[in-house]
Amino acid sequence: MNEATSLVLRRMRTPFTLIILVYSIAILGLTLIPGIDDKGNTWYMSIYHAFYFVSYTATTIGFGEIPYPLSDAQRLWVIIIIYITVISWFYALGTVISLIQNKKFQAAIEASAFQRDIKNIYRPYYVVCGFGETGKAVINALLEEHFSAVVIERKTDLSEQGLNDTLEHVPSLTADASDPASLEVAGVHLDKCHGVIAVTSKDETNLKIAISSKLLHPDVMVICRSEYKEHEENMLSFGSDHIVNPYESFSKIFSMVLHSPSMYLIFEWLTGAPDKPLSPPINIRKGHWILSGYGRFGKQLHKELLKQNIQTVIIDPSDETKKSFHKNNHTNEKFIIGIGTDAATLTQAGIDTAAGIIAGTDNDSNNLSIIMTARQLNKDIFVVGRQNQMTNKILYEKINEHYLTSNKKNKNELVPIAHLVMQPSEVIARKIRAILIAPLLIDFIQLAQHKTPEWANITISRLSAVIDNNNPYVWTETINKETTPAIAQALGYGRRIELKHITQNPVTHNKKFECITLLLKRGDDFILLPEDKTELKAFDQILFCGLRQFKHAMLPTLTDITILNFVMTSTNEPQSYIWKKLTHALQKQDRRAVSRSIR
Amino acid sequence: MNLEKVIFSFFMILALTLNFGFFYGEIDDPIHHNVYELFAVIVVNLIATLMKFGDKSHMGAMLLATSLVAMVQLIAGSIVWIFAVHIHQTGLTPSTVSTIVALSGGAMLANIISVILLMIEASMFRR
Repeated sequence: MNEATSLVLRRMRTPFTLIILVYSIAILGLTLIPGIDDKGNTWYMSIYHAFYFVSYTATTIGFGEIPYPLSDAQRLWVIIIIYITVISWFYALGTVISLIQNKKFQAAIEASAFQRDIKNIYRPYYVVCGFGETGKAVINALLEEHFSAVVIERKTDLSEQGLNDTLEHVPSLTADASDPASLEVAGVHLDKCHGVIAVTSKDETNLKIAISSKLLHPDVMVICRSEYKEHEENMLSFGSDHIVNPYESFSKIFSMVLHSPSMYLIFEWLTGAPDKPLSPPINIRKGHWILSGYGRFGKQLHKELLKQNIQTVIIDPSDETKKSFHKNNHTNEKFIIGIGTDAATLTQAGIDTAAGIIAGTDNDSNNLSIIMTARQLNKDIFVVGRQNQMTNKILYEKINEHYLTSNKKNKNELVPIAHLVMQPSEVIARKIRAILIAPLLIDFIQLAQHKTPEWANITISRLSAVIDNNNPYVWTETINKETTPAIAQALGYGRRIELKHITQNPVTHNKKFECITLLLKRGDDFILLPEDKTELKAFDQILFCGLRQFKHAMLPTLTDITILNFVMTSTNEPQSYIWKKLTHALQKQDRRAVSRSIR
Repeated sequence: MNLEKVIFSFFMILALTLNFGFFYGEIDDPIHHNVYELFAVIVVNLIATLMKFGDKSHMGAMLLATSLVAMVQLIAGSIVWIFAVHIHQTGLTPSTVSTIVALSGGAMLANIISVILLMIEASMFRR
């Protein structure tokens, strides 16, 4: 018996008992009071008739006085029973209605529907805790990759927040995800639950979700959002598989931008959501940087600037920050006390010659003001903005539009006002997408970061040649019996299969698929951008990038041995038994003829 | 003392005793089996069944099952009575009376099991 039904039964016990008692009294009275039948004889109603009479009277149907008109004594009793039975029915109905409106009852109904949904999922699914911007992006990524997702969110009315816009039905539970019971309801302990993604806005909650999930199901993959180092260490000690820190991820992105804009572009293109437009190439001039706001965010970015040996001018309103800055940093960098929203401070920081500015205070209106002022003073400056409140996302988008239009008037090239905006939800969603869809992508990015800017430039031009103006799709193929039976079979025969065989179009001759092989993973070794001649081995993992359609176009070569043969030898091999024998015999004759002619 | 338990046990035991009262006597003699007693047995059994709803424990499930068995038998008996007296109007012949009483005997057995379970539960209860 589930929660909802037992709640109904328990609540309805009293009203139903009352109805039974009232009915039995009414029936008893009717059978005991004498009436007069059509022939004038004294007549007693039987229990059967009395039950019939009470049933239609109590429910206010009122068929009348059946089978004979009632005597006055009977009528007196009927008056009484009408009132008591009708009132007890209303009482029962009132209880039912108040039960339906009861919050607890509605929660019980929702929970039982959720449990039924969980039971009906037959493929791997992920539990997403927290349905904010990040949660939404993660769910869309999961659904695109044909995983199922379920949501646990504390706030009600999820459907209004756009859960109904998703590709398919996503079961949702309104509950506190840090409560282990709600994780259990979501089936975290089940085998088909592959992962738990904790992206609520609170670190403590995410930590608790990670701990409970790992205790409920040690094999489950846990991805956590975290903003503070202390929590991160705690999460790691409980075996969280991936911890996504928006500040750290963003500082990595920032270092990419400083190191090589092309590298950043590769990252942007490969990890972006498929429905977002591709970001345009960026350009950074040489010169010093201005960093406004020396808090947690500012310090991270300052470290990256130091790594690249870039001179930085720091603006912060706090005196103490200045003292501690000079204590910890032995560089002779300038530290200006102020907010940076006014032209005077920015001019003092040398805005005219600066290459870039970081609006990194923890106040969105200050940041926007800094950006606007800086833009007016120096048109070509590279702007990094920090968005603190989720609700201010629209402002950063608006300011972009505004600047774009004003730029068009000036016939300047199109430059967005903030070239790089730190949006925690966006940063996290990107990282989690990569983890879920193509774990090799993270390895690729890490390896690529050590390459020179020139390498990045070549790669980006190859990439843009392949994808044109479309969004690139990244996918992974693993060489094994399940996913690539044809390759596995051919490798079993000891044949040499090269990368070019599988990237070749099996339909048209000598035509390659327009895709790039980004990475090949063999054991613990990685081959970055493997060449066409690279030999494939069993259990290799290959990361491709191209248009989504090529993933499907590649499938026949991987799964059908005859197509693989055709690709490798450019001849159609016989498939039926007789034809095989025939061709075999013919080939023998041919060979003899050839050898004879040689002789 | 728990008032809920008192009411609960009261109705269950009353269901059994009334059932016994109706069952006791010559099996085919209508004089020994009053129709009002059958009515009372049905009403008390209905209430006893209702009391058992919503208990999620295993014992609760067993108790509910015994009550449902008793209800099925008693309602079958009352339908036999309705057929005999009202629909076919043959009156209470010895054969129909014995059918009704036999059915109520089955219901009594279910009620006995129910009371035994109640006693077991009570004996397991320590505080």
